[in-house]
Amino acid sequence: MKILAIIPAYNEEKSIARVINQVKLYVPGADVLVVNDGSSDTTAQKARDAGARVVNLPFNLGIGAAMQTGYLYARYNNYDIAVQVDGDGQHDPAYIHDLMKPVMEGKADMVIGSRFVRKTSYIPPVARRAGMLFFSFLLMLLTNLQVKDTTSGFRVINKRTIEYFSMKYPPDYPEVDVLVKLHKKGFKILELPVEMQARKAGKSSITPIRSVYYFVKVTISLLIGSTRTFE
Amino acid sequence: MFINVYTISVLFSIVFLVAVIELVRSNKLQEKYSILWILMSIILMVLSSGPAIINKLAGWLDIKNPPSLLFLFGLVYMLVYNLHLTVVVSKQSEKITRLAQEIAILKEKEKMQ
Repeated sequence: MKILAIIPAYNEEKSIARVINQVKLYVPGADVLVVNDGSSDTTAQKARDAGARVVNLPFNLGIGAAMQTGYLYARYNNYDIAVQVDGDGQHDPAYIHDLMKPVMEGKADMVIGSRFVRKTSYIPPVARRAGMLFFSFLLMLLTNLQVKDTTSGFRVINKRTIEYFSMKYPPDYPEVDVLVKLHKKGFKILELPVEMQARKAGKSSITPIRSVYYFVKVTISLLIGSTRTFE
Repeated sequence: MFINVYTISVLFSIVFLVAVIELVRSNKLQEKYSILWILMSIILMVLSSGPAIINKLAGWLDIKNPPSLLFLFGLVYMLVYNLHLTVVVSKQSEKITRLAQEIAILKEKEKMQ
């Protein structure tokens, strides 16, 4: 099976090499692809030096479009499995094997590395926790789908999902949104527990104004998306 | 002839129509997007040609001050056209995204060979 680890990165020069090395250590069979989303620092160079393939987007497109670039790459190069690992170091590559297992066995089309399935040491700030709970609740209300950690970007998908994502993937804040889409199309989604770490370096893209925008945008796309009968 | 809302409106719609045609002529505006503008300037021209049409319409709609019908029309038109434009922008941004993705993948492939 051909496995591709996709690392979307925007100005992550301090953490990117470590993430790549860890992925190579824990999943030696995987190819590592860094999607450099228009970084203004040396992310691309650091990634290449660490032995990853690098796709350089000509300008910043946002996390969703960057991930989709990875999925498109996976489709063009016939990969069977794609793993998303964030470039900031918060996803521990040691868990990739566990996450990949159900996908390899054909038990799931997507596996989400979740912080809340089992009690983990990760305790998010109150506002974020409230937001996450709200999205879980809204998702269950709209689709009957039970996902505890809707915003986790630590995910493994199979070929069928790669094909679908390469065609359709929201350009920004995609994590919650795609759950509705996948569920409607009959994809099987599974959640497995992982530990996550606070980001190792770099700046989080989330500011108070952006979190309000995030909240409103995701809520609207969930509400409208759940009424969609086509696509 | 004196200056009032009607003469100004007619004058404006003529200038506007000429400007739209000139933009199309010099290839700065695609024909596709000029249709709605041309349509608007013609409707505006007709409406503001004299008080007769607008008075009648205003009467039907129970509008006390007939010229405000002109403004209402303009406002609604802007609203609809703006919505149309954001639809166009959405489509374009989707296309630009796909272009950027394809180019990035192509460049990587080139480097590998």
